Amino acid sequence: VERIARVEDLTPGTVKIIPGGRFGIGVFNINGRFHALANYCPHMGGPLCLGDITGTTVADGPYSIRWIRDGEIVRCPWHGWEFDIAAGQSLTSPVRRIRKYPVHVQNGFVVVDTEGHVRE
Amino acid sequence: MNSHQRLRVDCAVHPQPETSDELRRYMPEPWRSRAFPGPERYFYPAPNEYFRGSVGASGLPGSDPALLARHIFGDGHVDLAVLLPRTRGLNPDLDLANQICAATNDWLASKWLTESNEHGRYFGSIRINASDPAAAVAEIERWAGDPRMVQVAVTMQAHRPYGQRFYHPIWEAAAAQHMPVAVISDGSLGVEYFPSPVGYFRFHAEYSSFYPLNFYYHLSSLIAEGAFDRYPALRFVFVDGGSDLLMPFMWRLNNNWRASRAETPWVSRLPTDYLSRHVRFCTSRMEGPPDPAQSTVWAEVSDSPTLLMYASHYPYWLYATPLEAVSRSLPDDMRHRILGANALEIYRLSQAASAPR
Repeated sequence: VERIARVEDLTPGTVKIIPGGRFGIGVFNINGRFHALANYCPHMGGPLCLGDITGTTVADGPYSIRWIRDGEIVRCPWHGWEFDIAAGQSLTSPVRRIRKYPVHVQNGFVVVDTEGHVRE
Repeated sequence: MNSHQRLRVDCAVHPQPETSDELRRYMPEPWRSRAFPGPERYFYPAPNEYFRGSVGASGLPGSDPALLARHIFGDGHVDLAVLLPRTRGLNPDLDLANQICAATNDWLASKWLTESNEHGRYFGSIRINASDPAAAVAEIERWAGDPRMVQVAVTMQAHRPYGQRFYHPIWEAAAAQHMPVAVISDGSLGVEYFPSPVGYFRFHAEYSSFYPLNFYYHLSSLIAEGAFDRYPALRFVFVDGGSDLLMPFMWRLNNNWRASRAETPWVSRLPTDYLSRHVRFCTSRMEGPPDPAQSTVWAEVSDSPTLLMYASHYPYWLYATPLEAVSRSLPDDMRHRILGANALEIYRLSQAASAPR
């Protein structure tokens, strides 16, 4: 269990990479809630948490395109696979999940349990 | 398995007019008097050009109904045949091209689907000029309800890949009639690009080997533009072969689609997931692994039991009987699907095939 940052230093829409697991852990602030994901893309092992924090698109039919979920999606920098940060789940291949670590806020600090698992 | 699934269907027989001028009888003036390219003018003539036996006493090979029937139904042992005439000849005049398509259809319906079809074993293709969508739709609708016509046919060469929305009215009209769209290499209606993306081949072997790979560009366009999502009944048949390399190309498309999925959110499934519902390929005897023992493995990789349909390509030099086109080393069920069951289903021939003849 590590205190990794003051809450006010990990502002909404940002990520901080910390040591932990085999590949590091990305701690995201998404709309004021904290989520910690393994920095490892289940597709080919890319450093997922270094990717852009972005949104995604949805279509109501051919040639329709709407932007949704702005700031809730991370795109792997290697092959562009998209992940729902809060769910730890891929949008590109929805069977793929990423390990999530427990996060909480204590005394004004963001605290990550780098040994733990979040069970869905 | 019922008896229908044992019927053999030849998905591409190419009847020809005796001469170019035979078509003129089906054209009104001023088109009847207009010069237009003949059927044999194209680069890359094949060795012998035609299947030797198809050269009759007079007229072009494939122009004598009695001789053609003897080869297809006798020597080839097929039960039903889909006729797909070529319109080839470079011709940039859209209006003239429309007239050639219409005349070809009237000629086919009259000479082949009526006068030579007492047995009811021939079915036809509606040739349309995809470069002129409004005229193409009108031509499809002119034949609506005619049970002899079972598909729409377009040239492989096109001004733009076939998924693009320029063409959507045509595909909508074809899907409304439950007609697959056949794509055939055919010296085109008004457009001729390099036969390979890197330029002109010099020799027929290069052309014959790799030209069918151009089908994949149309297929990727149809998937990426959402044509299959828009028209659930739309189906494409790629006539000149190419099923053997389909899957490696599709794997590439799958991988890239995943990476840029957000650009085309209307593509609701993985590219490979569109194949079984929307895509078929015809056989070509110039493809497949060199070792017959590998035929079954590669047919499974290529999903041939679902995607492949036998075609003789009569009277061209690639003509192949069912025995020549479909390896006998394949499991029986797979062979029967390729030789007939897939075609019966996609062309909805079961009802027609059960009619007395």
